[in-house]
Amino acid sequence: MIDLLGQFDNIRFYLLGPYPKGDIGGLALNIILTILAISFSFIFGALLGYSRLSCRRYIKLPCMAYIEIVRATPLIMIIFWMYFFLPYLVGGHATIISSAVVSLSIYAAAYQAEIVRAGILAVPRGQLEAALSTGMSRYGAMRHIILPQAFRIMIPSFVSFFVSLFKDTATVFIIGVIELTQAGIIISQRDPDKMYAAYLSMAIGFWCICFTMSHLARRLEKRVGVFDLESIRPDACRDEFMLLPKQKKTGEGIEESTACAPEKPV
Amino acid sequence: MIKFIAANKWFKNSHVLKNINLEIAKGEVIVICGPSGAGKSTLLRTINKLEPIDDGEIIVDGMYISDPRTDLTALRAEIGMVFQHFNLYPHKTAIKNITLAPRKVRGLSRKKAEERALKLLEKVGLDHRQDSFPVQLSGGEQQRVAIARSLAMEPKIMLFDEPTSALDPELINEVLDVMTSLAREGMTMVVVTHEIGFAQKVADRVVFMNDGEIIEIGSPPDIFVNPQHERTKEFMSSVFHIPIFSESQEEE
Ligand SMILES: Nc1ncnc2c1ncn2[C@@H]1O[C@H](COP(=O)(O)OP(=O)(O)O)[C@@H](O)[C@H]1O
Ligand SMILES: [Mg+2]
Repeated sequence: MIDLLGQFDNIRFYLLGPYPKGDIGGLALNIILTILAISFSFIFGALLGYSRLSCRRYIKLPCMAYIEIVRATPLIMIIFWMYFFLPYLVGGHATIISSAVVSLSIYAAAYQAEIVRAGILAVPRGQLEAALSTGMSRYGAMRHIILPQAFRIMIPSFVSFFVSLFKDTATVFIIGVIELTQAGIIISQRDPDKMYAAYLSMAIGFWCICFTMSHLARRLEKRVGVFDLESIRPDACRDEFMLLPKQKKTGEGIEESTACAPEKPV
Repeated sequence: MIKFIAANKWFKNSHVLKNINLEIAKGEVIVICGPSGAGKSTLLRTINKLEPIDDGEIIVDGMYISDPRTDLTALRAEIGMVFQHFNLYPHKTAIKNITLAPRKVRGLSRKKAEERALKLLEKVGLDHRQDSFPVQLSGGEQQRVAIARSLAMEPKIMLFDEPTSALDPELINEVLDVMTSLAREGMTMVVVTHEIGFAQKVADRVVFMNDGEIIEIGSPPDIFVNPQHERTKEFMSSVFHIPIFSESQEEE
Protein backbone atom coordinates (compact mmCIF):
# COMPACT_ATOMS: atom_id res chain seq x y z
CA MET A 1 0.00 0.00 0.00
CA ILE A 2 2.75 2.36 0.99
CA ASP A 3 4.50 1.44 -2.22
CA LEU A 4 1.44 2.29 -4.21
CA LEU A 5 1.29 5.67 -2.54
CA GLY A 6 4.92 6.04 -3.52
CA GLN A 7 3.73 6.08 -7.11
CA PHE A 8 2.28 9.53 -6.46
CA ASP A 9 5.74 10.93 -7.13
CA ASN A 10 5.34 9.69 -10.66
CA ILE A 11 1.79 10.80 -11.06
CA ARG A 12 2.64 13.50 -13.53
CA PHE A 13 4.43 11.00 -15.72
CA TYR A 14 1.49 8.59 -15.59
CA LEU A 15 -0.92 11.34 -16.53
CA LEU A 16 1.07 13.46 -18.99
CA GLY A 17 4.17 11.46 -19.95
CA PRO A 18 7.30 13.50 -20.78
CA TYR A 19 5.24 16.73 -21.11
CA PRO A 20 6.15 19.66 -20.73
CA LYS A 21 9.77 18.72 -21.45
CA GLY A 22 8.75 16.45 -24.29
CA ASP A 23 5.61 15.48 -26.16
CA ILE A 24 2.41 14.86 -24.32
CA GLY A 25 1.96 11.27 -23.21
CA GLY A 26 0.55 9.12 -20.42
CA LEU A 27 -3.14 8.80 -19.76
CA ALA A 28 -3.79 12.12 -21.51
CA LEU A 29 -2.41 10.61 -24.70
CA ASN A 30 -4.69 7.58 -24.42
CA ILE A 31 -7.62 9.95 -24.21
CA ILE A 32 -6.40 12.04 -27.12
CA LEU A 33 -5.78 8.95 -29.25
CA THR A 34 -9.25 7.63 -28.45
CA ILE A 35 -10.95 10.90 -29.30
CA LEU A 36 -9.05 11.33 -32.56
CA ALA A 37 -9.58 7.72 -33.62
CA ILE A 38 -13.25 7.75 -32.68
CA SER A 39 -13.85 10.98 -34.60
CA PHE A 40 -12.07 9.92 -37.79
CA SER A 41 -13.49 6.44 -37.67
CA PHE A 42 -16.98 7.67 -36.95
CA ILE A 43 -17.07 9.64 -40.17
CA PHE A 44 -15.35 6.94 -42.17
CA GLY A 45 -17.29 4.15 -40.46
CA ALA A 46 -20.67 5.84 -40.94
CA LEU A 47 -19.94 6.21 -44.65
CA LEU A 48 -18.81 2.59 -44.85
CA GLY A 49 -21.78 1.28 -42.91
CA TYR A 50 -24.19 3.34 -44.97
CA SER A 51 -22.60 2.31 -48.27
CA ARG A 52 -22.60 -1.30 -47.17
CA LEU A 53 -26.41 -1.04 -47.30
CA SER A 54 -26.33 0.04 -50.93
CA CYS A 55 -28.03 -2.14 -53.50
CA ARG A 56 -25.21 -1.52 -55.97
CA ARG A 57 -22.67 -4.27 -55.80
CA TYR A 58 -19.71 -2.16 -56.82
CA ILE A 59 -20.35 0.02 -53.77
CA LYS A 60 -21.42 -2.70 -51.38
CA LEU A 61 -18.74 -5.32 -52.03
CA PRO A 62 -15.64 -3.17 -51.40
CA CYS A 63 -17.20 -1.96 -48.15
CA MET A 64 -17.98 -5.50 -47.08
CA ALA A 65 -14.45 -6.57 -47.95
CA TYR A 66 -12.93 -3.76 -45.90
CA ILE A 67 -15.11 -4.48 -42.89
CA GLU A 68 -14.59 -8.22 -42.95
CA ILE A 69 -10.83 -8.04 -43.49
CA VAL A 70 -10.21 -5.48 -40.76
CA ARG A 71 -12.43 -7.27 -38.29
CA ALA A 72 -10.54 -10.50 -38.90
CA THR A 73 -7.15 -8.87 -38.26
CA PRO A 74 -5.62 -8.38 -34.82
CA LEU A 75 -5.21 -4.70 -33.97
CA ILE A 76 -1.54 -5.20 -33.31
CA MET A 77 -1.02 -6.27 -36.96
CA ILE A 78 -2.64 -3.10 -38.20
CA ILE A 79 -0.46 -1.07 -35.86
CA PHE A 80 2.69 -2.71 -37.18
CA TRP A 81 1.64 -2.35 -40.79
CA MET A 82 0.91 1.31 -40.43
CA TYR A 83 4.13 1.84 -38.51
CA PHE A 84 6.12 0.45 -41.42
CA PHE A 85 3.92 1.44 -44.37
CA LEU A 86 2.64 4.88 -43.45
CA PRO A 87 6.05 6.55 -44.04
CA TYR A 88 6.03 5.04 -47.56
CA LEU A 89 2.47 6.12 -48.16
CA VAL A 90 2.99 9.74 -47.15
CA GLY A 91 6.40 9.83 -48.76
CA GLY A 92 9.04 9.54 -46.08
CA HIS A 93 8.09 11.10 -42.82
CA ALA A 94 5.40 10.06 -40.36
CA THR A 95 5.44 10.36 -36.60
CA ILE A 96 4.66 7.33 -34.47
CA ILE A 97 1.66 9.21 -33.08
CA SER A 98 0.21 9.67 -36.54
CA SER A 99 0.70 6.01 -37.42
CA ALA A 100 -0.99 5.16 -34.13
CA VAL A 101 -3.97 7.40 -34.92
CA VAL A 102 -4.24 6.06 -38.47
CA SER A 103 -4.12 2.42 -37.42
CA LEU A 104 -6.62 2.90 -34.61
CA SER A 105 -8.95 4.72 -37.00
CA ILE A 106 -8.69 2.02 -39.65
CA TYR A 107 -9.46 -0.59 -37.03
CA ALA A 108 -12.32 1.34 -35.42
CA ALA A 109 -13.97 2.28 -38.72
CA ALA A 110 -14.81 -1.35 -39.47
CA TYR A 111 -16.55 -1.77 -36.12
CA GLN A 112 -18.32 1.57 -36.30
CA ALA A 113 -19.56 0.68 -39.77
CA GLU A 114 -21.24 -2.41 -38.39
CA ILE A 115 -22.74 -0.46 -35.50
CA VAL A 116 -24.17 2.14 -37.89
CA ARG A 117 -25.48 -0.49 -40.27
CA ALA A 118 -27.17 -2.46 -37.51
CA GLY A 119 -28.68 0.74 -36.12
CA ILE A 120 -30.17 1.78 -39.45
CA LEU A 121 -31.53 -1.72 -40.09
CA ALA A 122 -33.11 -1.82 -36.66
CA VAL A 123 -35.44 1.07 -37.50
CA PRO A 124 -38.72 -0.50 -38.60
CA ARG A 125 -39.43 -0.29 -42.32
CA GLY A 126 -42.79 1.34 -41.67
CA GLN A 127 -40.99 4.48 -40.49
CA LEU A 128 -39.46 5.07 -43.90
CA GLU A 129 -42.77 4.33 -45.61
CA ALA A 130 -44.64 6.74 -43.36
CA ALA A 131 -42.14 9.49 -44.07
CA LEU A 132 -42.10 8.86 -47.83
CA SER A 133 -45.88 8.74 -47.97
CA THR A 134 -46.08 12.27 -46.57
CA GLY A 135 -43.99 13.44 -49.50
CA MET A 136 -40.63 13.61 -47.78
CA SER A 137 -37.60 12.78 -49.88
CA ARG A 138 -35.42 9.78 -49.11
CA TYR A 139 -32.76 12.15 -47.86
CA GLY A 140 -35.24 13.98 -45.62
CA ALA A 141 -36.62 10.73 -44.26
CA MET A 142 -33.10 9.54 -43.53
CA ARG A 143 -32.16 12.74 -41.80
CA HIS A 144 -35.29 13.41 -39.74
CA ILE A 145 -36.74 9.96 -39.17
CA ILE A 146 -34.31 7.09 -39.69
CA LEU A 147 -30.99 8.43 -38.44
CA PRO A 148 -32.31 10.00 -35.21
CA GLN A 149 -33.87 6.67 -34.30
CA ALA A 150 -30.89 4.66 -35.49
CA PHE A 151 -28.65 6.86 -33.38
CA ARG A 152 -30.62 6.12 -30.22
CA ILE A 153 -30.52 2.42 -31.01
CA MET A 154 -26.76 2.64 -31.57
CA ILE A 155 -25.85 4.32 -28.29
CA PRO A 156 -25.23 1.20 -26.19
CA SER A 157 -23.04 -0.53 -28.78
CA PHE A 158 -21.32 2.72 -29.61
CA VAL A 159 -20.42 3.33 -25.99
CA SER A 160 -19.15 -0.15 -25.36
CA PHE A 161 -17.02 0.16 -28.45
CA PHE A 162 -15.77 3.55 -27.30
CA VAL A 163 -14.67 2.04 -23.99
CA SER A 164 -13.04 -0.93 -25.62
CA LEU A 165 -11.19 1.30 -28.09
CA PHE A 166 -9.92 3.34 -25.18
CA LYS A 167 -8.46 0.21 -23.64
CA ASP A 168 -7.08 -0.83 -27.02
CA THR A 169 -5.06 2.38 -27.25
CA ALA A 170 -2.73 0.65 -24.78
CA THR A 171 -1.58 -1.55 -27.68
CA VAL A 172 0.28 1.30 -29.38
CA PHE A 173 2.97 1.13 -26.67
CA ILE A 174 4.46 -1.54 -28.97
CA ILE A 175 5.66 1.07 -31.45
CA GLY A 176 7.07 3.25 -28.68
CA VAL A 177 4.25 5.70 -28.07
CA ILE A 178 4.57 6.86 -24.47
CA GLU A 179 0.95 6.43 -23.47
CA LEU A 180 -0.09 5.17 -20.04
CA THR A 181 1.18 1.60 -20.51
CA GLN A 182 4.53 2.66 -21.91
CA ALA A 183 4.83 5.31 -19.18
CA GLY A 184 4.18 2.65 -16.55
CA ILE A 185 6.73 0.33 -18.10
CA ILE A 186 9.33 3.09 -18.08
CA ILE A 187 8.63 3.82 -14.41
CA SER A 188 8.68 0.18 -13.45
CA GLN A 189 12.03 -0.27 -15.12
CA ARG A 190 13.48 2.59 -13.12
CA ASP A 191 12.52 0.77 -9.96
CA PRO A 192 12.00 -2.94 -10.68
CA ASP A 193 11.16 -3.68 -7.03
CA LYS A 194 7.92 -1.77 -7.37
CA MET A 195 6.89 -3.38 -10.64
CA TYR A 196 3.49 -4.48 -9.28
CA ALA A 197 2.73 -0.98 -8.00
CA ALA A 198 3.40 0.46 -11.45
CA TYR A 199 1.13 -2.03 -13.16
CA LEU A 200 -1.56 -1.50 -10.55
CA SER A 201 -1.39 2.26 -11.13
CA MET A 202 -1.85 1.77 -14.88
CA ALA A 203 -4.89 -0.42 -14.24
CA ILE A 204 -6.41 2.20 -11.95
CA GLY A 205 -5.84 4.86 -14.60
CA PHE A 206 -7.66 2.85 -17.27
CA TRP A 207 -10.40 1.84 -14.87
CA CYS A 208 -11.20 5.41 -13.80
CA ILE A 209 -11.75 6.59 -17.35
CA CYS A 210 -13.70 3.52 -18.43
CA PHE A 211 -15.95 3.68 -15.41
CA THR A 212 -16.65 7.36 -15.97
CA MET A 213 -17.50 6.75 -19.63
CA SER A 214 -19.87 3.90 -18.85
CA HIS A 215 -21.54 5.96 -16.19
CA LEU A 216 -22.05 8.97 -18.45
CA ALA A 217 -23.31 6.66 -21.16
CA ARG A 218 -25.98 5.19 -18.91
CA ARG A 219 -27.24 8.65 -18.13
CA LEU A 220 -27.28 9.61 -21.79
CA GLU A 221 -29.11 6.40 -22.63
CA LYS A 222 -31.77 7.14 -20.05
CA ARG A 223 -32.24 10.64 -21.32
CA VAL A 224 -32.63 9.89 -25.01
CA GLY A 225 -34.48 6.68 -24.23
CA VAL A 226 -37.58 8.44 -22.88
CA PHE A 227 -39.41 8.15 -26.16
CA ASP A 228 -39.60 4.43 -25.81
CA LEU A 229 -41.21 3.64 -22.49
CA GLU A 230 -41.77 0.05 -23.43
CA SER A 231 -38.16 -0.84 -23.91
CA ILE A 232 -36.06 -2.10 -21.07
CA ARG A 233 -34.41 0.58 -19.04
CA PRO A 234 -30.63 0.44 -19.01
CA ASP A 235 -30.63 -0.10 -15.24
CA ALA A 236 -33.24 -2.86 -15.24
CA CYS A 237 -32.43 -5.95 -13.23
CA ARG A 238 -32.94 -9.43 -14.59
CA ASP A 239 -36.27 -10.05 -12.90
CA GLU A 240 -37.64 -6.89 -14.42
CA PHE A 241 -36.76 -7.60 -18.02
CA MET A 242 -37.78 -11.22 -17.75
CA LEU A 243 -41.12 -9.96 -16.41
CA LEU A 244 -40.76 -12.14 -13.35
CA PRO A 245 -42.71 -11.35 -10.21
CA LYS A 246 -40.70 -9.84 -7.37
CA GLN A 247 -38.76 -12.63 -5.67
CA LYS A 248 -38.97 -13.44 -2.01
CA LYS A 249 -35.54 -13.77 -0.52
CA THR A 250 -35.82 -17.48 0.09
CA GLY A 251 -33.25 -19.65 -1.59
CA GLU A 252 -35.95 -21.87 -3.03
CA GLY A 253 -37.76 -19.15 -4.93
CA ILE A 254 -34.62 -17.76 -6.49
CA GLU A 255 -33.45 -21.19 -7.61
CA GLU A 256 -36.77 -21.83 -9.22
CA SER A 257 -36.67 -18.65 -11.23
CA THR A 258 -33.17 -19.26 -12.56
CA ALA A 259 -34.04 -22.84 -13.42
CA CYS A 260 -36.83 -21.83 -15.75
CA ALA A 261 -35.07 -18.77 -17.16
CA PRO A 262 -33.90 -19.14 -20.75
CA GLU A 263 -30.14 -18.96 -21.31
CA LYS A 264 -30.09 -15.60 -22.98
CA PRO A 265 -32.76 -12.94 -22.55
CA VAL A 266 -33.56 -10.98 -25.67
CA MET B 1 -59.29 11.02 -59.53
CA ILE B 2 -57.53 7.65 -59.57
CA LYS B 3 -57.52 5.45 -62.63
CA PHE B 4 -55.91 2.03 -62.93
CA ILE B 5 -55.36 0.94 -66.51
CA ALA B 6 -54.40 -2.71 -66.90
CA ALA B 7 -51.98 -2.47 -64.00
CA ASN B 8 -49.82 -5.50 -63.24
CA LYS B 9 -47.30 -6.22 -60.60
CA TRP B 10 -45.01 -9.12 -59.86
CA PHE B 11 -42.91 -9.92 -56.80
CA LYS B 12 -40.21 -12.18 -58.25
CA ASN B 13 -42.35 -14.87 -59.83
CA SER B 14 -45.63 -14.28 -58.08
CA HIS B 15 -48.16 -12.21 -59.93
CA VAL B 16 -49.66 -10.08 -57.14
CA LEU B 17 -51.72 -7.61 -59.16
CA LYS B 18 -53.39 -9.04 -62.22
CA ASN B 19 -54.66 -6.65 -64.84
CA ILE B 20 -56.26 -4.17 -62.47
CA ASN B 21 -58.76 -1.77 -64.06
CA LEU B 22 -60.49 0.58 -61.69
CA GLU B 23 -61.64 4.15 -61.79
CA ILE B 24 -62.26 6.10 -58.62
CA ALA B 25 -64.08 9.41 -58.82
CA LYS B 26 -63.39 12.51 -56.78
CA GLY B 27 -65.11 12.30 -53.40
CA GLU B 28 -65.77 8.61 -53.70
CA VAL B 29 -65.20 6.23 -50.80
CA ILE B 30 -64.00 2.80 -51.89
CA VAL B 31 -63.68 -0.12 -49.52
CA ILE B 32 -61.43 -2.97 -50.55
CA CYS B 33 -61.81 -6.35 -48.93
CA GLY B 34 -60.62 -9.85 -49.59
CA PRO B 35 -58.59 -12.61 -48.00
CA SER B 36 -55.09 -12.11 -46.65
CA GLY B 37 -52.50 -12.15 -49.44
CA ALA B 38 -55.05 -11.04 -52.03
CA GLY B 39 -52.93 -7.98 -52.88
CA LYS B 40 -55.05 -5.34 -51.15
CA SER B 41 -52.10 -3.60 -49.48
CA THR B 42 -50.07 -3.82 -52.64
CA LEU B 43 -52.87 -2.25 -54.66
CA LEU B 44 -53.10 0.60 -52.18
CA ARG B 45 -49.35 1.12 -52.13
CA THR B 46 -49.12 1.36 -55.90
CA ILE B 47 -51.30 4.46 -55.78
CA ASN B 48 -48.59 6.53 -54.07
CA LYS B 49 -45.81 4.49 -55.67
CA LEU B 50 -44.51 2.96 -52.48
CA GLU B 51 -44.64 -0.05 -54.78
CA PRO B 52 -44.00 0.61 -58.47
CA ILE B 53 -46.11 -1.30 -60.97
CA ASP B 54 -44.44 -3.37 -63.69
CA ASP B 55 -46.97 -2.95 -66.44
CA GLY B 56 -49.95 -0.72 -67.22
CA GLU B 57 -50.55 2.72 -65.82
CA ILE B 58 -52.11 4.48 -62.86
CA ILE B 59 -53.23 8.07 -63.23
CA VAL B 60 -53.64 9.97 -59.98
CA ASP B 61 -55.09 13.46 -60.26
CA GLY B 62 -53.65 13.81 -63.74
CA MET B 63 -50.22 12.46 -62.81
CA TYR B 64 -48.98 9.33 -64.55
CA ILE B 65 -47.23 7.34 -61.86
CA SER B 66 -45.01 5.30 -64.15
CA ASP B 67 -43.79 8.36 -65.98
CA PRO B 68 -40.24 8.98 -64.72
CA ARG B 69 -40.83 12.73 -65.03
CA THR B 70 -43.62 12.67 -62.47
CA ASP B 71 -42.54 14.43 -59.31
CA LEU B 72 -42.85 11.78 -56.61
CA THR B 73 -42.90 14.35 -53.85
CA ALA B 74 -45.79 16.20 -55.44
CA LEU B 75 -47.63 12.94 -56.02
CA ARG B 76 -47.18 11.70 -52.47
CA ALA B 77 -47.93 15.05 -50.92
CA GLU B 78 -51.40 14.82 -52.40
CA ILE B 79 -52.03 11.35 -51.05
CA GLY B 80 -52.29 10.68 -47.34
CA MET B 81 -51.64 7.17 -46.11
CA VAL B 82 -52.66 5.53 -42.83
CA PHE B 83 -51.08 2.24 -41.84
CA GLN B 84 -52.20 -0.77 -39.88
CA HIS B 85 -49.47 -0.24 -37.29
CA PHE B 86 -49.78 3.56 -37.22
CA ASN B 87 -46.05 4.09 -37.91
CA LEU B 88 -45.89 7.26 -35.84
CA TYR B 89 -42.37 8.58 -35.32
CA PRO B 90 -41.59 7.33 -31.80
CA HIS B 91 -38.96 9.98 -31.10
CA LYS B 92 -41.31 12.88 -31.76
CA THR B 93 -44.31 14.18 -29.83
CA ALA B 94 -47.77 14.03 -31.38
CA ILE B 95 -47.60 17.61 -32.61
CA LYS B 96 -44.08 17.20 -34.00
CA ASN B 97 -45.24 14.09 -35.85
CA ILE B 98 -47.84 16.22 -37.54
CA THR B 99 -45.79 19.34 -38.27
CA LEU B 100 -42.74 17.61 -39.73
CA ALA B 101 -43.92 17.06 -43.29
CA PRO B 102 -45.75 20.39 -43.72
CA ARG B 103 -42.60 22.18 -42.61
CA LYS B 104 -40.09 20.14 -44.57
CA VAL B 105 -42.12 19.45 -47.69
CA ARG B 106 -44.51 22.38 -47.93
CA GLY B 107 -42.09 24.83 -46.34
CA LEU B 108 -44.58 26.10 -43.76
CA SER B 109 -43.26 28.14 -40.86
CA ARG B 110 -43.25 26.42 -37.49
CA LYS B 111 -46.04 28.67 -36.27
CA LYS B 112 -48.29 28.05 -39.27
CA ALA B 113 -47.63 24.32 -39.12
CA GLU B 114 -48.43 24.18 -35.42
CA GLU B 115 -51.66 26.08 -35.88
CA ARG B 116 -52.69 23.65 -38.55
CA ALA B 117 -51.64 20.67 -36.42
CA LEU B 118 -53.64 21.89 -33.44
CA LYS B 119 -56.74 22.28 -35.57
CA LEU B 120 -56.33 18.74 -36.85
CA LEU B 121 -55.69 17.36 -33.37
CA GLU B 122 -58.88 19.03 -32.27
CA LYS B 123 -60.68 17.48 -35.19
CA VAL B 124 -59.57 13.99 -34.16
CA GLY B 125 -60.34 14.82 -30.52
CA LEU B 126 -56.78 14.87 -29.23
CA ASP B 127 -55.84 18.50 -28.77
CA HIS B 128 -55.01 17.79 -25.13
CA ARG B 129 -52.41 15.17 -26.11
CA GLN B 130 -50.25 17.34 -28.35
CA ASP B 131 -47.12 16.91 -26.24
CA SER B 132 -47.44 13.17 -25.69
CA PHE B 133 -45.01 10.75 -27.26
CA PRO B 134 -46.57 7.90 -29.26
CA VAL B 135 -45.82 5.32 -26.55
CA GLN B 136 -47.87 7.35 -24.11
CA LEU B 137 -50.94 7.11 -26.35
CA SER B 138 -53.38 4.23 -26.72
CA GLY B 139 -53.61 2.47 -30.07
CA GLY B 140 -56.75 4.36 -31.02
CA GLU B 141 -55.15 7.68 -30.11
CA GLN B 142 -52.03 6.81 -32.07
CA GLN B 143 -54.06 6.00 -35.12
CA ARG B 144 -55.98 9.27 -34.83
CA VAL B 145 -52.70 11.18 -34.60
CA ALA B 146 -51.53 9.27 -37.67
CA ILE B 147 -54.66 10.37 -39.53
CA ALA B 148 -54.04 13.95 -38.46
CA ARG B 149 -50.44 13.63 -39.66
CA SER B 150 -51.63 12.63 -43.12
CA LEU B 151 -54.27 15.33 -43.22
CA ALA B 152 -51.71 18.00 -42.35
CA MET B 153 -50.43 17.81 -45.92
CA GLU B 154 -53.96 18.67 -47.08
CA PRO B 155 -54.13 15.68 -49.38
CA LYS B 156 -56.79 15.15 -52.02
CA ILE B 157 -56.84 11.42 -51.47
CA MET B 158 -56.57 9.33 -48.32
CA LEU B 159 -55.48 5.69 -48.31
CA PHE B 160 -56.16 3.48 -45.29
CA ASP B 161 -54.57 0.06 -44.96
CA GLU B 162 -56.49 -1.90 -42.35
CA PRO B 163 -56.45 1.08 -39.98
CA THR B 164 -58.33 -0.68 -37.20
CA SER B 165 -57.10 -4.25 -37.37
CA ALA B 166 -54.32 -3.69 -34.84
CA LEU B 167 -56.69 -2.07 -32.35
CA ASP B 168 -58.50 -3.46 -29.34
CA PRO B 169 -62.22 -3.73 -30.11
CA GLU B 170 -63.22 -0.89 -27.81
CA LEU B 171 -60.86 1.49 -29.60
CA ILE B 172 -62.02 0.77 -33.12
CA ASN B 173 -64.98 3.11 -33.14
CA GLU B 174 -63.08 6.25 -32.23
CA VAL B 175 -60.97 5.73 -35.35
CA LEU B 176 -63.90 4.80 -37.57
CA ASP B 177 -65.77 7.91 -36.40
CA VAL B 178 -62.92 10.11 -37.56
CA MET B 179 -62.88 8.30 -40.89
CA THR B 180 -66.62 8.61 -41.27
CA SER B 181 -66.59 12.35 -40.73
CA LEU B 182 -63.75 12.62 -43.21
CA ALA B 183 -65.83 10.76 -45.78
CA ARG B 184 -68.78 13.04 -45.09
CA GLU B 185 -66.58 16.04 -45.83
CA GLY B 186 -66.10 14.69 -49.33
CA MET B 187 -62.58 13.25 -49.09
CA THR B 188 -61.67 10.72 -51.74
CA MET B 189 -60.86 7.60 -49.76
CA VAL B 190 -59.60 4.11 -50.51
CA VAL B 191 -59.94 1.94 -47.44
CA VAL B 192 -58.79 -1.62 -46.96
CA THR B 193 -60.91 -2.86 -44.09
CA HIS B 194 -63.09 -5.67 -42.90
CA GLU B 195 -65.27 -3.38 -40.78
CA ILE B 196 -68.54 -4.17 -42.45
CA GLY B 197 -70.53 -1.59 -40.49
CA PHE B 198 -68.23 1.17 -41.65
CA ALA B 199 -68.42 -0.05 -45.24
CA GLN B 200 -72.22 -0.19 -45.16
CA LYS B 201 -72.41 3.30 -43.78
CA VAL B 202 -69.92 5.23 -45.88
CA ALA B 203 -68.68 3.21 -48.84
CA ASP B 204 -69.91 4.15 -52.28
CA ARG B 205 -68.51 0.97 -53.73
CA VAL B 206 -66.91 -2.16 -52.36
CA VAL B 207 -64.15 -3.95 -54.24
CA PHE B 208 -63.61 -7.62 -53.55
CA MET B 209 -60.14 -8.92 -54.35
CA ASN B 210 -58.77 -12.41 -54.42
CA ASP B 211 -55.41 -13.71 -55.54
CA GLY B 212 -54.34 -10.43 -57.17
CA GLU B 213 -57.53 -9.96 -59.10
CA ILE B 214 -60.55 -7.74 -58.65
CA ILE B 215 -63.34 -10.30 -58.51
CA GLU B 216 -66.25 -7.98 -58.17
CA ILE B 217 -67.18 -4.38 -57.56
CA GLY B 218 -70.52 -3.17 -56.31
CA SER B 219 -72.48 -1.27 -53.71
CA PRO B 220 -72.06 -2.53 -50.13
CA PRO B 221 -75.28 -4.56 -50.15
CA ASP B 222 -74.36 -6.05 -53.53
CA ILE B 223 -71.07 -7.34 -52.23
CA PHE B 224 -71.89 -8.17 -48.64
CA VAL B 225 -75.41 -9.52 -48.95
CA ASN B 226 -75.77 -10.43 -52.57
CA PRO B 227 -72.39 -11.43 -53.97
CA GLN B 228 -72.37 -12.90 -57.44
CA HIS B 229 -69.16 -14.87 -57.40
CA GLU B 230 -68.63 -18.09 -55.56
CA ARG B 231 -65.34 -16.89 -54.08
CA THR B 232 -66.97 -13.75 -52.70
CA LYS B 233 -69.79 -15.72 -51.14
CA GLU B 234 -67.34 -18.07 -49.49
CA PHE B 235 -65.30 -15.19 -48.12
CA MET B 236 -68.25 -13.23 -46.82
CA SER B 237 -69.74 -16.16 -45.00
CA SER B 238 -66.44 -17.22 -43.47
CA VAL B 239 -65.07 -13.83 -42.48
CA PHE B 240 -68.13 -11.83 -41.65
CA HIS B 241 -70.13 -14.77 -40.37
CA ILE B 242 -73.00 -13.60 -42.51
CA PRO B 243 -75.19 -16.54 -43.32
CA ILE B 244 -75.31 -16.37 -47.09
CA PHE B 245 -76.88 -19.41 -48.55
CA SER B 246 -75.70 -20.57 -51.88
CA GLU B 247 -78.34 -21.63 -54.34
CA SER B 248 -77.61 -25.30 -53.92
CA GLN B 249 -78.17 -25.03 -50.18
CA GLU B 250 -81.46 -23.27 -50.67
CA GLU B 251 -82.72 -26.03 -52.90
CA GLU B 252 -82.12 -28.67 -50.28
N1 LIG C 1 -42.23 -6.88 -50.47
C1 LIG C 1 -42.73 -8.05 -50.94
N2 LIG C 1 -41.92 -8.96 -51.51
C2 LIG C 1 -42.41 -10.12 -51.97
N3 LIG C 1 -43.69 -10.48 -51.92
C3 LIG C 1 -44.56 -9.62 -51.36
C4 LIG C 1 -44.14 -8.36 -50.83
N4 LIG C 1 -45.21 -7.71 -50.33
C5 LIG C 1 -46.26 -8.53 -50.54
N5 LIG C 1 -45.88 -9.66 -51.16
C6 LIG C 1 -46.77 -10.75 -51.58
O1 LIG C 1 -47.76 -10.20 -52.38
C7 LIG C 1 -49.00 -10.81 -52.10
C8 LIG C 1 -50.04 -9.74 -51.76
O2 LIG C 1 -49.68 -9.14 -50.54
P1 LIG C 1 -50.52 -8.00 -49.85
O3 LIG C 1 -50.76 -6.93 -50.85
O4 LIG C 1 -49.81 -7.61 -48.61
O5 LIG C 1 -51.87 -8.75 -49.50
P2 LIG C 1 -53.04 -8.29 -48.52
O6 LIG C 1 -52.77 -6.90 -48.08
O7 LIG C 1 -54.26 -8.43 -49.35
O8 LIG C 1 -53.04 -9.27 -47.41
C9 LIG C 1 -48.79 -11.79 -50.98
O9 LIG C 1 -48.71 -13.07 -51.53
C10 LIG C 1 -47.47 -11.40 -50.40
O10 LIG C 1 -46.80 -12.52 -49.93
MG1 LIG D 1 -52.43 -6.13 -46.14
